[in-house]
Amino acid sequence: LWLWRCRCRALLSRPAGAPRARRGLAAGPEMHFGFQTVTEEERREKIYQVFENVAKKYDVMNDSMTLGIHRVWKDILMHKMNPCPGTLLLDVAGGTGDIAFRFINYVRSVQQRQLQRKLKHHQNLSWQEIFESYQKDKFNSLGDSQVVVCDINREMLKVGKQKAQHLGYSEGLSWVLGNAEELPFDDDKFDVYTIAFGIRNVTRIDLALQEAYRVLKPGGRFLCLEFSHVSNPLLSRLYDLYSFQVIPVLGEVIAGDWKSYQYLVESIRQFPPQEELKAMIEDAGFFKVDYENLNFGIVAIHSGFKL
Amino acid sequence: MLRGPALLLVLRRAARGGPAHGRHCRRQQKREQSSGSGSGSGSGSGSGSGSARPQPLEPSLLRFLVCPLSKRPLRYEEATNELINEELGIAYPIIDGIPNMVPEAARRTHKKPPAEGSEHS
Repeated sequence: LWLWRCRCRALLSRPAGAPRARRGLAAGPEMHFGFQTVTEEERREKIYQVFENVAKKYDVMNDSMTLGIHRVWKDILMHKMNPCPGTLLLDVAGGTGDIAFRFINYVRSVQQRQLQRKLKHHQNLSWQEIFESYQKDKFNSLGDSQVVVCDINREMLKVGKQKAQHLGYSEGLSWVLGNAEELPFDDDKFDVYTIAFGIRNVTRIDLALQEAYRVLKPGGRFLCLEFSHVSNPLLSRLYDLYSFQVIPVLGEVIAGDWKSYQYLVESIRQFPPQEELKAMIEDAGFFKVDYENLNFGIVAIHSGFKL
Repeated sequence: MLRGPALLLVLRRAARGGPAHGRHCRRQQKREQSSGSGSGSGSGSGSGSGSARPQPLEPSLLRFLVCPLSKRPLRYEEATNELINEELGIAYPIIDGIPNMVPEAARRTHKKPPAEGSEHS
């Protein structure tokens, strides 16, 4: 109980902190890892280890921590994106593939609906023509849409790949091990860039945003789904209580890893709030930057366009 | 053999002609080495858990992939299952069908040293 009080005190009397460090610019070697202060190098290392440890239980933990609501958040992101067949998506920090699979499902259903609509308009098709249209559909069920999942952590990618095999996703899906701050992709290549619950773990957010700008086609969209700040004070207290009392315990019980989930909740507190992130995205060159709060600000979707 | 931060320093300088940020990658390099993946061992045989031959790369990926350092196109080498950047003389391994595109994992391909002219090889 004493430990809890100490942690709560630490939370409430959060130091003003080097604002530049909070904005993700390395103000010298000091950076934050949760509530600890570490060097840039240590931070990368620690974060890599966090995800290496939790990779296998990542999905289970997501479900239990958010009571399954994370699925709704990701679905909302997908609806906001509203991709049409032929879209090229880059999902960064997409480790276990949640966004990628939703993208494939969405595009497949859009393609199906388009096909049905087309068939309905051609009422007098011969059997040959109907047969041919289904043939085409078999080779083109995604309509040339593609998603590339990029993550810096090998374990997360492995879990993602296994999930894909297990769920039967193979077409239009690729996996790359890469660093969000230094993407191995050419300029002006992707229609949409998403980073869901990943940008918080990037050490140099400004570099990641610049890379996002670089790899997007002109007209491309940047979408960021991330935990953010709750402004409502009552809700904020409840949220803090839940975060600091329940989540690390769940982490210990389910994944056997208290510290990683302690890092998780601390990193959420350290992450810039909605307006600040919006400013950073604008700094990277994006236009029409906007954000949408989900669940009173527990999660926010930031969107920007490369124009 | 030129390794670790020194390698990265040389590569980044060659790629961009600007200051290098190799030092902070030292620990990641060490971890990559100790986990038996990527640099030094070349192909994916080191970390393959019982798979007889390394999985090939998804061909559609080659359209997008470039070297993260110099952003130049890569050549897929089937023999060693690597992606090779000729200019910088480095090769990125492909492990379990997933290309490992972080500079720390790149291996020097003893073809010719980068323009910075290091005496090591």
